[in-house]
Amino acid sequence: MTSHLRCENVTVRFGGVVACDKVNLDVEEGKIVGLIGPNGAGKTTLFNVLSRFQPYEAGHVYFRGGPVDNKRPHDMIRLGMARTYQNIKLFGEQTTLANILIGAHRLIGNPIANMFWLPKARQTERTLHNRAIEIAEMLHLENDLDTLVRNLPYGYQKRVELARALASNPEIILLDEPVAGCNEEETNELKEIVRRVNRDLGITIFLVEHDMSMVMTVCDYIYVINFGANLADGSPTEVQKNPDVIGAYLGEDYHA
Amino acid sequence: MGRKEIVAALKTKFERQNQVAVVLLFVAAALFPFMPGVEGWMASQASLIVIYIMAAQGVSLLVGYTGLVTVGHGGFLAIGAYTSALLTKYFGIDLSLGLIAGGLMSGLIGYGLGLIFLRLSGAFMAIGTLGFAFFIGAIINNVPLFEGRTGINLPASRIFGVKIGDFGFYLVAVAALALTTLLIYCVVRSGVGRAFMALRDAEKAAESSGVNRVFYRTLAFSISAAITGVAGALNGHVVNYVSSEVYADIWYSVDFLVAGVVGGSALLMGPFIGGAFIVMVPFFLEKLADFAYILKGIVLIAVLLLAPAGVADLLARPFRAMRRRRLAAAGDSLGLVGAAAARAQTAEGR
Repeated sequence: MTSHLRCENVTVRFGGVVACDKVNLDVEEGKIVGLIGPNGAGKTTLFNVLSRFQPYEAGHVYFRGGPVDNKRPHDMIRLGMARTYQNIKLFGEQTTLANILIGAHRLIGNPIANMFWLPKARQTERTLHNRAIEIAEMLHLENDLDTLVRNLPYGYQKRVELARALASNPEIILLDEPVAGCNEEETNELKEIVRRVNRDLGITIFLVEHDMSMVMTVCDYIYVINFGANLADGSPTEVQKNPDVIGAYLGEDYHA
Repeated sequence: MGRKEIVAALKTKFERQNQVAVVLLFVAAALFPFMPGVEGWMASQASLIVIYIMAAQGVSLLVGYTGLVTVGHGGFLAIGAYTSALLTKYFGIDLSLGLIAGGLMSGLIGYGLGLIFLRLSGAFMAIGTLGFAFFIGAIINNVPLFEGRTGINLPASRIFGVKIGDFGFYLVAVAALALTTLLIYCVVRSGVGRAFMALRDAEKAAESSGVNRVFYRTLAFSISAAITGVAGALNGHVVNYVSSEVYADIWYSVDFLVAGVVGGSALLMGPFIGGAFIVMVPFFLEKLADFAYILKGIVLIAVLLLAPAGVADLLARPFRAMRRRRLAAAGDSLGLVGAAAARAQTAEGR
């Protein structure tokens, strides 16, 4: 088993509140791994720790074999980690194409050469444009490339966010509630897209999600946290049968 | 909808037409001194418009593309003017070198200011940059090298060793403006321009897409300051005189901000509209000089209310709508009938 992204005893405190209490987790390369837990369990905080927006007072994060404790958010994408947000964070006043191209920012090469359109930079720009269109086609966004993102329906915006993450050629994508607020049709579509990204592009996926149908059908492995601490982990079937998880989160009535 | 159709739909004639329009504008500007009946003072007045347009370009790059407000670009104008003036006075350098030196010095100080103001935004950035303009004013008023209100008289400008008059100077200014326009065109269409806009629209998302906030903010400040610095160097040489009475004046900074905001940054033309507006208002209101600032204020408020992205953006709107219709039509013709309309309805329903 190759560990791709790992965190060891990560602790985050907001004043007197412990948001993450010695959390451990291990995301295996090439898998789809889920993170679930009740509201306020610290899922998003943990995501922010992993993408290096959130400082932590104890513990370590390792990505692709090395510690990333001292990295800044924009470094993570260079290492191959892209993410999406629970509340969509897109560039609303820009087109879908422009949004996807921003995702490819780490591939523009030397910014000064790019700024002056030197021959090599021209070539790079052409490649990036073509790739952006390819990604848009894969996520069924090709008809909205020139639309301002703020005018797109919610489900489309979610896909634009994923497209932007894909444009950076990542090793791993962190998805923060990819289907929150989506209707059933949109959810099914996103499920399929996530599977395809994982299977066809070989990208590891780590996702936080409340939609159990999504988590249980898509994930290979699941971590459950509660009150900022690890509660359980295992395959979807194991997690569903775990009495602690049923008590804290799923409830007695839950059947997959 | 196939790849080819998408690429074709995205490439509209409009962008090309706008490029042609800008080039034609420059050709017309270059021919202006050769028209019959044009006198030296008219060329000087036209040079002034060119200088204001260039200064406004610096401001609009910052305001329009990175979303940072600046009320301090008069400071960069002064830095450009004094750098070139001092080098000309003591070393007798060529005007071409003076412009480059003015731009470089201003860009360098802009980089430093960008670093100092890294954490500021919005109103705080406005106050910070205003403070910078006052600081520069205090320096040129009090440091003996700059000769305060007495000012520095400069020899007639020489370009590549040849003395030039009002007409020659105007042509140099137009050439310099062509270069700064080209620079802005290249920057905003590149990955660097995309990074500026990304930081403007959603800073966190930009950073997690790999945009280094510190690097791009200081870069934007440097380029913006350098462009206004070149305008400053021109501004000193157009009258062959610099003094603190002119350059310590805070109204320059306000004028440039108004020019940058009124014109906007769209279509490359924004600063042209804003810069020309600022120069022409007092020109036409010669007898009512006090009224000029009132009129500028009224226009500023009207623009902020009716077209917050500037007058140029107002002009660009119909073209953008046309492009959107064309793309939708391209989708429809390929059997995606109604898809766009259905989505537009959904979007409105939200």
